[in-house]
Amino acid sequence: MRDDKPLVTIRGLRFLRGDRAIFDGVDLDIPRGKVTAIMGPSGTGKTTLLKLIGGQLRPAAGTINVDGELVHQLATRDLYRLRMRMGMLFQSGALLTDISVFENVAYPLREHTGLPESLIRKLVLLKLEAVGLRGARDLMPHELSGGMARRVALARAIALDPMMIMYDEPFTGQDPISMGVLVKLIRSLNDASRLTSIIVSHDVREAAQIADYIYLISNGIVIEHGVPEAMLSSASEWTSQFMNGLADGPVPFHYPAPALEQDLMGAAG
Amino acid sequence: MNNNRMLEITVGAFMALGLLALFFLSMQVSNLSAASSGGGYNVEARFDNIGSLKVRSPVTMAGVRVGRVSAIDFDRKTFEAVVTLHIDSDYEQAIPDDTFAKIFTAGLLGEQYIGLDAGGSPNFLAEGGKISLTQSALVLEEIIGQFLFSKAEEGGKVE
Amino acid sequence: MLDLLARLGRIGIGSLEQLGRGHLLLLYMVVGVGELFTHPRLLLKQLYSVGVLSLLIVAISGTFVGMVLGLQGYYILSQFGAEQTLGVMVSASLVRELGPVVTALLFAGRAGSALTAEIGLMKATEQLSGLEMMAVNPVKRILTPRFFAGHISMPMLAAMFSALGVMGGYFVGVGLLGVDDGAFWSQMQAKIDFDDDVLNGVIKSLVFGLVCTWIALFQGYSAVPTAEGVSRATTRTVVHSSLAVLGLDFILTALMFGE
Repeated sequence: MRDDKPLVTIRGLRFLRGDRAIFDGVDLDIPRGKVTAIMGPSGTGKTTLLKLIGGQLRPAAGTINVDGELVHQLATRDLYRLRMRMGMLFQSGALLTDISVFENVAYPLREHTGLPESLIRKLVLLKLEAVGLRGARDLMPHELSGGMARRVALARAIALDPMMIMYDEPFTGQDPISMGVLVKLIRSLNDASRLTSIIVSHDVREAAQIADYIYLISNGIVIEHGVPEAMLSSASEWTSQFMNGLADGPVPFHYPAPALEQDLMGAAG
Repeated sequence: MNNNRMLEITVGAFMALGLLALFFLSMQVSNLSAASSGGGYNVEARFDNIGSLKVRSPVTMAGVRVGRVSAIDFDRKTFEAVVTLHIDSDYEQAIPDDTFAKIFTAGLLGEQYIGLDAGGSPNFLAEGGKISLTQSALVLEEIIGQFLFSKAEEGGKVE
Repeated sequence: MLDLLARLGRIGIGSLEQLGRGHLLLLYMVVGVGELFTHPRLLLKQLYSVGVLSLLIVAISGTFVGMVLGLQGYYILSQFGAEQTLGVMVSASLVRELGPVVTALLFAGRAGSALTAEIGLMKATEQLSGLEMMAVNPVKRILTPRFFAGHISMPMLAAMFSALGVMGGYFVGVGLLGVDDGAFWSQMQAKIDFDDDVLNGVIKSLVFGLVCTWIALFQGYSAVPTAEGVSRATTRTVVHSSLAVLGLDFILTALMFGE
């Protein structure tokens, strides 16, 4: 019955960068054990949202509740304890560049568990096996392709068996094969270890393929949310423009500007 | 793990070199071995004029450095300069209490220092002791002035 | 007019804010000193990249600066017939001023810029954020060892610079120009004081070590996480460190040697 409650609850979230409101009254629920995609055009602060959930940024107003704890009010020590139960996959992988793949995956284990070396080795190899890169354990991060780096980062993110993983643009800049691998991995990890996954993305097809639920964010508010099928066939003009990738629609093709004639005349005068 | 060992060795060598350089600077370049600045005692001497004597100027005895000037004050009542001499601990029981203190100049334009001429007393100076026999610094302008004055007097007589 | 005043105010508030953030960072780095005892390896690694790798440039510069001092000093001093005091001149200028200052300037260019670039890139590639999300404090883990490594290395490097400089001066003065060997050393030993000269030089280089590493780390840590931002931060590190060293040198000299 505890499972019915959402893992992450965001209410009335407001976040400013300078004078610009990135979020202005966002309400979100991330259900447990599901894959939730948060989508929106570039520059809508999707990554910022993940950082807010992870407690790296603090909101100007509103509440962010993760597993019963208000992230933005936690003391540093408690925040770090909470973060041990969160994994995050950064867009670039964010592997430590001066240590090997093996050491990267072992890092959180060494840091937060006092496990003996032999056990750490077994755990690391298991995690690397899960992402299919057990053979690459002695490589250095700069020897990996982008997709492999992301998979290693994924192995590192699940090293401590977290309750949820946040993926920041996992599909961006991947070739179709590694994209397929990642899609499969995210889904299977989620189902196998009863994780909660949050995916931030603007790759509609992949996100719609694995997400159980989709939130669409633009201009600082949640535009629409629902299961993927409903979203794809949404009646809302905006949603259909985004989901189907149309050039013009409610989001105009032109950046706001004075009328073309006026601009041209102005240049002449 | 060979790599780690190399790292340890190079860093160790670096630290050793650094300490060696510091040791070199303190022993060879400066004279830490001789100037045991820890102990020692202070004595006081009064001069009518100290010239350009400064704090940290050397104090010598028979040309050997035995200490340094540690403070210079001015006595409002007697209008004298009160100079505190810090004598190194090696020279305890070595300076008789009737010692004569003079201010000398090293070379024509060199810095000024205090020279001590030992007296014959069986008692030695100790912490807080006073040197009563002093001779002031020679001030070049005064000497020249005196010289010109005496010449003028001579000239006056002849005429 | 009011616009100008407002802009001035904005700049003032901005720089105050920077200053505050810098001091907070310093505080966090110093508080993280315990990390060095639980992870001595981290410090060792940084001592290598900050100290050992700067050794060559410092050693070569020190030797040459000492040799130039020997040459220049000889020609000036010989005009007064005071070649005997060449040792004093070379060692006093090295130990008091050139050792700490030139080492700090070289350090800012060699190690400081590298530190800024490294931290800036770690920030740009989200490694710092990554550590934070792994519940590891990046200030303690990444910055503190570098900070203390810089702090320890600087006096060592400065001492080596001065020592090699004295050797260089000795080589030129005694070896090439024929200053008396005994006079060179004995005059030096008579005039150079341990407390006043050597110790003050060490204190100077400790201060410079703190300031240079602090500036380098702060610039890296607060760099705009783009290629351009990191390159700007690196430039700023060198400029700010050099200015800070020269300015502080004046203040420290006035405090130490002024009476």
